[in-house]
Amino acid sequence: MTTTTTIEVRRLSPSASSIIIHGDITSGTEPALMDACAQASDDATRSIVLDFSDLAYLNSGGIGLLVTLLVRVQRQGQRLLAFGLSEHYRQIFELTRLDDAIGIHDSEAAALVAAGA
Amino acid sequence: MGPRVEIAPSDPLLTYLQSAPGPVELASLELDSVAVRDLRKAGVALVVPLISQGELIGTLNLGSRLSEQEYSTDDRRLLASLATQAAPAVRVAELVLERAGEIQARERLEQEMRVATLIQQQFLPHELPKLPDWQVAAYYGPARAVGGDFYDFIELPDGRIGIVVGDVTDKGVPAALIMARTQSVLRGEAPRLVAPGEVLRRANEILLPEMPARMFVTCLYLVLEPATGRVVYANAGHLPPYVRTVDGVVELRATGMPLGLLPGMAYEEKEAIIDTRQSVLLYSDGVVEAHGPEGDMFGFPRLRELMAHERPSSELLNHLLEQLHEFVGRGWDQEDDITLVALQRTGGGEYALLAEPDPAGAEAVDRQVLLSLSLPGEPGNERTAMTRVAEAVAPLGLPTARLERLKTAVSEAAMNAIEYGSRNDPAVPVQIEVWVASGDLLVSIADRGLSGPMGDPEQPDLEAKLAGEQKPRGWGLFLIKHMVDAMEVATEGAAQIVTLTLHLQGADDASQPV
Repeated sequence: MTTTTTIEVRRLSPSASSIIIHGDITSGTEPALMDACAQASDDATRSIVLDFSDLAYLNSGGIGLLVTLLVRVQRQGQRLLAFGLSEHYRQIFELTRLDDAIGIHDSEAAALVAAGA
Repeated sequence: MGPRVEIAPSDPLLTYLQSAPGPVELASLELDSVAVRDLRKAGVALVVPLISQGELIGTLNLGSRLSEQEYSTDDRRLLASLATQAAPAVRVAELVLERAGEIQARERLEQEMRVATLIQQQFLPHELPKLPDWQVAAYYGPARAVGGDFYDFIELPDGRIGIVVGDVTDKGVPAALIMARTQSVLRGEAPRLVAPGEVLRRANEILLPEMPARMFVTCLYLVLEPATGRVVYANAGHLPPYVRTVDGVVELRATGMPLGLLPGMAYEEKEAIIDTRQSVLLYSDGVVEAHGPEGDMFGFPRLRELMAHERPSSELLNHLLEQLHEFVGRGWDQEDDITLVALQRTGGGEYALLAEPDPAGAEAVDRQVLLSLSLPGEPGNERTAMTRVAEAVAPLGLPTARLERLKTAVSEAAMNAIEYGSRNDPAVPVQIEVWVASGDLLVSIADRGLSGPMGDPEQPDLEAKLAGEQKPRGWGLFLIKHMVDAMEVATEGAAQIVTLTLHLQGADDASQPV
C-alpha cells in the first residue's frame, strides 16, 4: 500500500516556522521530515511548530521519528511545539510522554504565544 | 450490366478458370458446363478470371465488342493486366466486408451472452433460505459468461428443504442449457418425490434421452429437516460434501452414477444428523481443481483444512475464496465454474443443550467470528489489517476512542508480524482473526515466526531516548499494551500469536497515561 504524505514548511514569524504534515508519519517519512526541518531552520529560528491538523495516521515508527526530530531540534537550540492533534493521538503523546518534550497546544496562535514568537 | 449468372461451385468452368493463362473466349471453349451455356445465353463472349494469391475470386464478364470484331491480342493483354491489378483490390474489398460482418456478428453474440448471463442468474436462487438456527451461504462463479454449475434450494413439505449442487460436464452455453434443464427437472420432481434417491433416479430417467453424447450431470441432493438437523442425501457422481463435526472433518458419502449416462440407475440414500456448531460444505470440482501459478492444484487437503475451523457460513465462504485467490495468484484465468454452498447449524441441537451448564463450553458456543483474514507479509499491509478489522467490528458500535485505540494496536501488532514474522516477505502471510466471546472482543494476529521468538523488549523511556541511551524506535509493544485491555503472546511452533482483548461492557479506559 502506498500512502502519500506531503510536508509543507511555512515561516510564521522571524523566529518561528511551522511544518505542516498532510498524511502519515511513519518511519518512511524520515527523509521528508528531516528535509522540512532543515528548510524550517535558519540562524534566527528559535521555534518549530508541528501542524498535525491534517495528520491521518501515526504509528510507532512515526513516534520514533518524532524522537529523532526532537533530538535534532534540541541540538540546534530550538524548541519543538505542536498543535492540531486528534484526541487519540494526543493520548498517545501523553502515554509516551512526548507531550513533556513537545509543547502541545490547541491552535497555531496558542503555540506561537507559548513560543514567545 | 448483363443479367446475373449463377455459377455452381462444382461447375468445371471454375476449375478451368483457376488455371487459365488469361482471358477465355467462350465461343471456342469446349467444356461440358452449365455455366458456360448460361453465360453465352447472357451474351458473354469473354471471361477474364480474377486471381488473387492463386485463388479465383471472381470473373470479369464481357460481351462482344461493339464493333463486332473479335478481341485482339492487345485487348486481351490489356484485360489480363487490368485483371491482375483489379483482383487484389476486389479481394481487399471482400475482406473488409467480411470483417465488418464478423464484428457485427461478434457484437450480436456478446449482447446475447450478456442477456444469457442475466437469464442464468434468474435460474439461481434469488435469496438464501431463512432457517431458524441455521446459517446458509452460497457462491456461484462461472468461468465464462454462463456456467454449467448450479445450486438450488427447494421448498419441500413439512418445512424441509432440498439443497442441490450440480455440475454439467463442459462449460459455456451447451453446459448452461443442460444446467437449466436439469434444474427444472429437479424443481419439478423434488417436492413430489422428496426422497433424494428417488428424485435422482427419476431425474436420470427424464434427462437420459435428452442428453447429448458425452455430456452428463453430477449432482448432490440433500434434504434437510432444519428443526432436527437430520439430513437425507443421495449423490449422482458429485464430490461428497464435507461436514465439520467434533471429531474432525468427514465426508457425506453415497454411491450413484451421474445423471444422463445410463438407464435404470439406482441412487443410494443415506442419513446424518448435523448438530449444533457443525457445518456442511457442498462444492463443485472447480474449486479443488483450480491451478496455482506453478501448475499445482488447490486440492482436497486445503479445502478440508479450511473446513476444520469453526466459522459462520458466510465467513467460511469468504475465507475460502480469499485463500483460493491467494493460491491462484494474480491474473488467474478461471478454468472451471465454481459453486459453494455452506450450512452451519447455530443452535437448537443436542450439543448446545449439553454444553450450556459448562462455562468453558458455553464460551466456545457463543464465540462469534467477525473476520478471518490472511494478508501477505508486505510492509504497508498493517494499514489493510487495521482497516479490515475496523470494518469487521463496525457492527459492535465501539466508542470512537476505543475503536481508534484498537486500530492502533492492530496496526502495530500487524507491523511487528510483517517485520519479524514474515521478514517483509509478501509470500509469508500474516493471519488475523476477529471474534467476540463472553462479552469480549478478541483479535489475534498470527505470524510465521521467521525471525525467531521475540525477546522481552526494553521498556521505552523518552528521557533515555533523548539522551541517546536508547534507540529512538521501540514503541510498538508498549503502545499495543496500553491500547487494549489485555495483550497475550503465545507461540505455536515458530509462529507467534498476539491476542488483543477489549472488554465490550463496563470497559475501563485502558489508554489512560500510566
